Amino acid sequence: MWKWIQRQASPKVFYQTCNRLIPWFFWPFLSLLILGLYWSLVISPEDYQQGDGYRIIFIHVPSAILSMMVYAVMAIAGGIGLIWQIKMAEVVAKVSAPIGAGFTIIALATGAIWGKPMWGAWWVWDARLTSELVLLFLYLAYMSLNSAFDNPRTAAKSSSILAIVGLINLPIIHYSVKWWNTLHQGYSVGTGGIKDLDMQIALALMFVASILLYALLVAIKARTEVLIREQNSRWVEEEVRSLMS
Amino acid sequence: MTMVEFFSFLPYGKYAFYVWLAYGVSALTIIALFVAARRNHSITLLSLNNKFSRSK
Repeated sequence: MWKWIQRQASPKVFYQTCNRLIPWFFWPFLSLLILGLYWSLVISPEDYQQGDGYRIIFIHVPSAILSMMVYAVMAIAGGIGLIWQIKMAEVVAKVSAPIGAGFTIIALATGAIWGKPMWGAWWVWDARLTSELVLLFLYLAYMSLNSAFDNPRTAAKSSSILAIVGLINLPIIHYSVKWWNTLHQGYSVGTGGIKDLDMQIALALMFVASILLYALLVAIKARTEVLIREQNSRWVEEEVRSLMS
Repeated sequence: MTMVEFFSFLPYGKYAFYVWLAYGVSALTIIALFVAARRNHSITLLSLNNKFSRSK
């Protein structure tokens, strides 16, 4: 296993691994998504307080968790790139940013849509909402800093430092509902917030589907990034020629 | 008639508008990520292919 991970540091091996993993991520993702949607929208019962309006939780919570998880992966991969000079870690960090920004947008948008019927407002400057918005800005800052350099190594170095400094925001988002008096409700997962078994299963299915979605998008986007970075190697030329012929 | 009333014929009644809007926005965002990734890949392949053809 350890040997296998070490071999992924080679761009050619990593490219082939991504190619091979794409169907392994895609089909489980699709089946879990369909099952998860069915469980969320059909099987799960109505909430005793929020009626059917609570069903937004099944996309809101997984995407909010993923928005933070992807950021952590991005910062750690960036750190690995900085410390051990592993170029493929830089690739993973770079391609994670737009995916994480996507999850953050979903979390913010579904939160706003959920807030309107429950709180009567699309947006409030509550600690949870504001810190999640800061996370979106961190992703955008990372992406613009990364694309501001011509040399991908320099870009990776400076943007990784930004990502690592921004890690401080993750505990702030997580504990915001505890530290401050927020309009946002408390924890739903792990603390007995959700007690219905079907709701828990639906949430778990959507969560695993989201992780697979992230892995799938990383594998798809990393291929492109490796081809760009390694365009002067012989194997890239052969690969592009065989794909285009 | 408000949007909420208009969409109340869908499942989840008075919450239909909000629930389906949330699921719709999320689906669009995810589709956009896939489309962008695909586009990026084909543009990269095209430009690299051009570059390699020129150098021969």
